[in-house]
Amino acid sequence: MKFLRRWKAQILLVFAVVGPGFITANVDNDANGILQYSQAGAQFGYMLLWTMIPTTIALIVVQEMCARMGAVTGKGLSDLIREEYGLRITFFMMIGILLTNFGNVVGEFVGIVGSMGLFGVSKYISVPICAVIVWLIAVKGQYKSVEKVFLLASFFYVTYIFAGALAKPAWIEALKTTVKPPEMEAFRHSAYLYTVIGLVGTTIAPWMQFYLQSSIVEKGVTRRQYAASRLDVIVGCIFTDVVAWFIIVACAATLYLHGARDIRDAADAAQALHPLAGEWAYILFALGLFNASLFAASILPLSTAYTVCEGLGFESGVERKFSEAPVFYWLYTALIVAGGAVVMIPGLPLIKIALLSQVVNGAVLPFVLIFMLLLINKKDLMGEYVNKLTFNIIAWATTGIMIVLTALYMYGLFHGGAG
Amino acid sequence: MPWQSGILMAMNMLALSELLGSTVYDSTGAASGRVREVALAPQEDRSRIAMFIVKTSSGNRLLPLNAVSAIDDGVRASTAAGDWTDANGAEGMLLLSRDLLDQQVIDVYGRKVVRVNDVDFYRDTLHGHPSLKIEGVDVGARGAIRRLLKGVVPAPALRALLQRLPQREIPWDFVDLIETDPARRVRLKISHDRLAKLHPADIADIVEDLAPDEREAVFETLDEEVAAGALEELEPRVQKSVLESLDSDRAADIVEEMEPDAAADLLADLPEERTAEILVQMQPEERQEVADLLEFKENSAAGRMTTEYIALPVTSSTNEAIEALRTFGGRMESMSTVFLLDSHGTLSGAVPLAKIVLAPPATALLALTQEPLISCREDAKEKEFAELFDKYNLLTLPVVDEHSRLMGVITPDDVINMLRAKL
Repeated sequence: MKFLRRWKAQILLVFAVVGPGFITANVDNDANGILQYSQAGAQFGYMLLWTMIPTTIALIVVQEMCARMGAVTGKGLSDLIREEYGLRITFFMMIGILLTNFGNVVGEFVGIVGSMGLFGVSKYISVPICAVIVWLIAVKGQYKSVEKVFLLASFFYVTYIFAGALAKPAWIEALKTTVKPPEMEAFRHSAYLYTVIGLVGTTIAPWMQFYLQSSIVEKGVTRRQYAASRLDVIVGCIFTDVVAWFIIVACAATLYLHGARDIRDAADAAQALHPLAGEWAYILFALGLFNASLFAASILPLSTAYTVCEGLGFESGVERKFSEAPVFYWLYTALIVAGGAVVMIPGLPLIKIALLSQVVNGAVLPFVLIFMLLLINKKDLMGEYVNKLTFNIIAWATTGIMIVLTALYMYGLFHGGAG
Repeated sequence: MPWQSGILMAMNMLALSELLGSTVYDSTGAASGRVREVALAPQEDRSRIAMFIVKTSSGNRLLPLNAVSAIDDGVRASTAAGDWTDANGAEGMLLLSRDLLDQQVIDVYGRKVVRVNDVDFYRDTLHGHPSLKIEGVDVGARGAIRRLLKGVVPAPALRALLQRLPQREIPWDFVDLIETDPARRVRLKISHDRLAKLHPADIADIVEDLAPDEREAVFETLDEEVAAGALEELEPRVQKSVLESLDSDRAADIVEEMEPDAAADLLADLPEERTAEILVQMQPEERQEVADLLEFKENSAAGRMTTEYIALPVTSSTNEAIEALRTFGGRMESMSTVFLLDSHGTLSGAVPLAKIVLAPPATALLALTQEPLISCREDAKEKEFAELFDKYNLLTLPVVDEHSRLMGVITPDDVINMLRAKL
């Protein structure tokens, strides 16, 4: 009996802790992610697959750092930045995060428009309705129950794995390009640079760091239970990037091959699922995209409102009434309303905007990483859990590379680069 | 005119952020450094600033307030810069920029945890030199905007703007600092005396908002009885986290102060080794009580009952009852009924407190018993005893074993607790 009880306790412990890492990673494959990976595959074929392995490693390192900081300090990232670096720095960081995350929210609405568009629903109908749904989910505090539904629906992504396989890609070539380092020449082309930055930005989005750390704190994970969290993070990251790899491959094997190098709307992206589902490609893709968009749209504005309110010292929490936490509710509402409004402006190149938001993610990422690295190496904060050398190397390298890539891209912009 | 006195008042006030970074002039009038820190020695004076730490070109130096001749738009010292001592032993002091600014503190009056945006000082003079007394901490817009715009907007314009903003200040007397290092807690005389006076439920609310290390710090410092009361009011997950993080002997001290049934409920949720570690450190009597209760299954009557009750022989009168009530050390809820036991220890009657109070002196308790005598078996399920409470409007429900011997008592709060968990 005792043995069973201990086993049961172990399993329950794992389930209790599993969640934050896996969820964050899945939300990572949101509308922005799907569009970014699709575009990468369509425009460059297999040429960008090499980014997957280094990005996954960087993602695991970065997410693990956040989980560790959350478990050891029991505080969110914005709280830590505030306590160690003061109000002014926190203020600027919060403004930056607000704007960056807003871009991501717009991207989610682009996903909603695109997916509903595949069913023939006009954006003027789908956006307001979904905005209200999203708003209600958080405000009525039903997020926890809905989260499970979303998670289950996330298994839709597996369709990409099948699509990728059925598209009969050139497996050898795909695998070769995954492990072969890129040509340095390619970086001269601004479109290539742009897409690389966007790929990293969509996989390691700044909002994810704040969200994961807060989730860990909220879940009450302590140093002792931390090992299970670490496993949760690693599994989540690998799963999400495997899906991403297949999305790129599926698009490369279909769209790129047939010369459709640019994704102008969701219908173009849906074509990638043709080999799997034929005429049903549309439906499968639309449902997957819709689920991804709605899921992320429920999380992002909420997480942003929490991050900003905590960093600046405003009352926050959906369990509080509107009058008790006005800034929190206003922020959250404004993000949804503004996000939806932008998307409804007629004639906007929605996909391009969504892709741009991910590039912004990539450009802002180094700043967040720098703070994370400074904090996680403080002995008086982390005790014996400070970063080991390998982690420091990987994280600083990622930071450095992203800064260099963004600088190169900016330089290219101003000097009329090729490509 | 009110706005004029407002400005006069304002001239007597100074904010920490205005002081930090301002230039320090020594007795020769030369600019010798900048204010890096403002330090307090709580062991001596809880609210008066003791000294400045000045960042000079040759390192950090201490400048005690009694060597300051004026504080206007800089700090003017009455000693030469060369005389200032090295700032090495400042650890025993509270450094306002590092330890207070942007940190979380407990607002004992508002009963919540707040973050400090700025610190407000009141200026006066002491023994002929300027003195700064902490008036309170600013947790609102005024402090935040001052910090953000300092150096960006010229000082006079900034002051005028800030005057218009509503001020949310917590008086220094209501501020309880949170310090995770035990040695520093002693040095800074952080005892959470004020926090301890709050209702346990309020203490629990406050503590739930803190990070685990800070929570542990508060539970290590509070008086055991107060800590026990607060622990009972915490959310289960937080309760467990606290009990797991404290040292076993401290945890045992706190658990001893709890009602045995509450203690048993708590310990039952912990991993077995942890429960054992805590039990071992407890006093034998309390340990036995709790261990006994732990034996029973949690959801049965025996798991919910308390072993503290008043029981007297059937032959007793109201005189003995009143004596027993006076000497009873348990909770009020357990005092609402006096139970009668026969010579074999079987439960024979239950006498409500109200009847004892209303009866003439020396009345036989047997004449005052509540009919019918309701009790439940030790293995009764929750649903059953909740029903009994409702049906008979009980104040207490005695729990008996298979020989009808009294084992313990279930009180209304146990039932409410159980029902709420299902709501």
